[in-house]
Amino acid sequence: MIAWWQILLLTLYAGFQIMDELHWYSSAGSAVFSGFITGLVMGDMATGLFIGGSMQLTILGVGTFGGASRIDANSGTLIATAFAVSAGMDPEQALAALGVPVAAILVYTDILGRMANTFWGHACDADIEKMNWNAYNVHYLMGAVSWMLSRMVPVFLALAFGQPLVEAITTALNGDLAWLGTGLTVAGGMLPAVGFAILLRYLPVKKHVAYLILGFVIAALLGTAFTSIAGISGDVATVAGAAGAEIAGGDYNSLSMLTIALIGFALAYIYYQQHQAAPVAAVAAGAEGDDDDEL
Amino acid sequence: MSSNTTGYKLTKADFQQINRRNLLGFQAGWNYERMQHSGYLWIILPQLRKIYGDNTEALKTAARTQCAPFFNTSNFLNTIITGIDLALEETDGLDSLETVASLKTGLMGPLASIGDSIFGSLLPTIFGALAANMAMQGNPLGIFIWIAVNIVVDWFRCKQTYIAYDQGMKLVTTMSDQLNAITDAATVMGVFMVGALVSTNVGIVISAPIDLGGVTVDLQHIANVICPKLVPAALVGFVYWLLGKKGMTSTKAIFIVLILGIVLGALGWVAKG
Repeated sequence: MIAWWQILLLTLYAGFQIMDELHWYSSAGSAVFSGFITGLVMGDMATGLFIGGSMQLTILGVGTFGGASRIDANSGTLIATAFAVSAGMDPEQALAALGVPVAAILVYTDILGRMANTFWGHACDADIEKMNWNAYNVHYLMGAVSWMLSRMVPVFLALAFGQPLVEAITTALNGDLAWLGTGLTVAGGMLPAVGFAILLRYLPVKKHVAYLILGFVIAALLGTAFTSIAGISGDVATVAGAAGAEIAGGDYNSLSMLTIALIGFALAYIYYQQHQAAPVAAVAAGAEGDDDDEL
Repeated sequence: MSSNTTGYKLTKADFQQINRRNLLGFQAGWNYERMQHSGYLWIILPQLRKIYGDNTEALKTAARTQCAPFFNTSNFLNTIITGIDLALEETDGLDSLETVASLKTGLMGPLASIGDSIFGSLLPTIFGALAANMAMQGNPLGIFIWIAVNIVVDWFRCKQTYIAYDQGMKLVTTMSDQLNAITDAATVMGVFMVGALVSTNVGIVISAPIDLGGVTVDLQHIANVICPKLVPAALVGFVYWLLGKKGMTSTKAIFIVLILGIVLGALGWVAKG
């Protein structure tokens, strides 16, 4: 069950996140943060981080592709996380079965909010003619109310009344519809591919394809190596434990993305330096050629 | 100095107020009809009231000219236009409004494309992906790194109002060269990161049982021998191709992959990996 105070906090966050995304943009209005905060409120941060992270990757390039209406990933993450925890749903299934559909449906309340603001825009025009500046402020800020309600109302309704439905879905997915559950799990793993593909459409891939290959191969090789080492070290520890022997070894973690990002940064820096140097060199060469005229 | 202004000179407190309003509510009034039109006026309204004097016809004309037309630009760079605008209006009053109007229409497009590519796309790609990747392993640290980066960005958004006010149009010309070099280098990192993320974050392996007259063929093993993580790369390539199709939107692509995943997973041809 989702407690009333959890519904209250999550509804408030739903209103806050859209204002954050529109204005001060702290990233508290991102899908991954939405998962984080919902996970904390629901008391299962790991599930929230997983769903939020997956959703973040799914929509990586969505904001910039084609200018079409974008799915509301933050609210989708919120709903998926809340129910994954409260109904005991598998996180990957919650992402595919709840997160994405909810995010897609909420596009319509987003459109509704933006349309409502057209009305407030006209009210602002009228206030200018009357030179009523206080009314202008009020009518202008009513726009923020439309924005927040477009997220808060659907999130509240879903959290308050969705529980029985989600519980029924979860039971079915673990019972008669187990094949669908398996499919949803695979779909959850596949979804981030969309975000990457959208980004590649947007970034100058043809020009920088070498860096794409480098990034992929470095991470693929190191990732596989790290996973294998971690597996072997686990086996060795088991064997050593059974034999009563003590082994000294390193602390094996999975591949750190931060280090991979540093390689990327180094490459970008080299690129920047080379392309800064080019015009300077040309000017220097030109200056030398002009020497005779100068002297 | 024009006769229709009060001769008021903007102070530091004025800019602080503009930046505060910008960071807290510039897009609150966003609507389909004229987008940021009322927001553009709202963040400078207190200053216009000081420049033209409260309840004067000049103020009404100025406010109308700012609020009536369509306006939409990057919400990360909009105060560059605001800064240049205020420098003009402060000295020339109503006489500057024609210049200001063409300045707004002329700059909103280019600034939107610069702002969207750097702040709307590259930073969220690099830091959002980093945060997401760490989050999926159960670590929230990446989120805080992203927040720290955005605090720097917000500081920059405040700073640029002053710079634009001081330098005027000169800023736009000097800025574009520098920005091009930085944007280009940042794209290199963006592309690199996408490559790395494809291999670490698309979690699928082939599990199709292929039986050739009693000999089972392990397709995933064959793929691994060619290159680890080949299957995720192929999937991303497929979606990339799909997005090039006419009439394809990101939302449609998400649902196609969703259904594809359910079908392949239910058939047992592809598994989570």
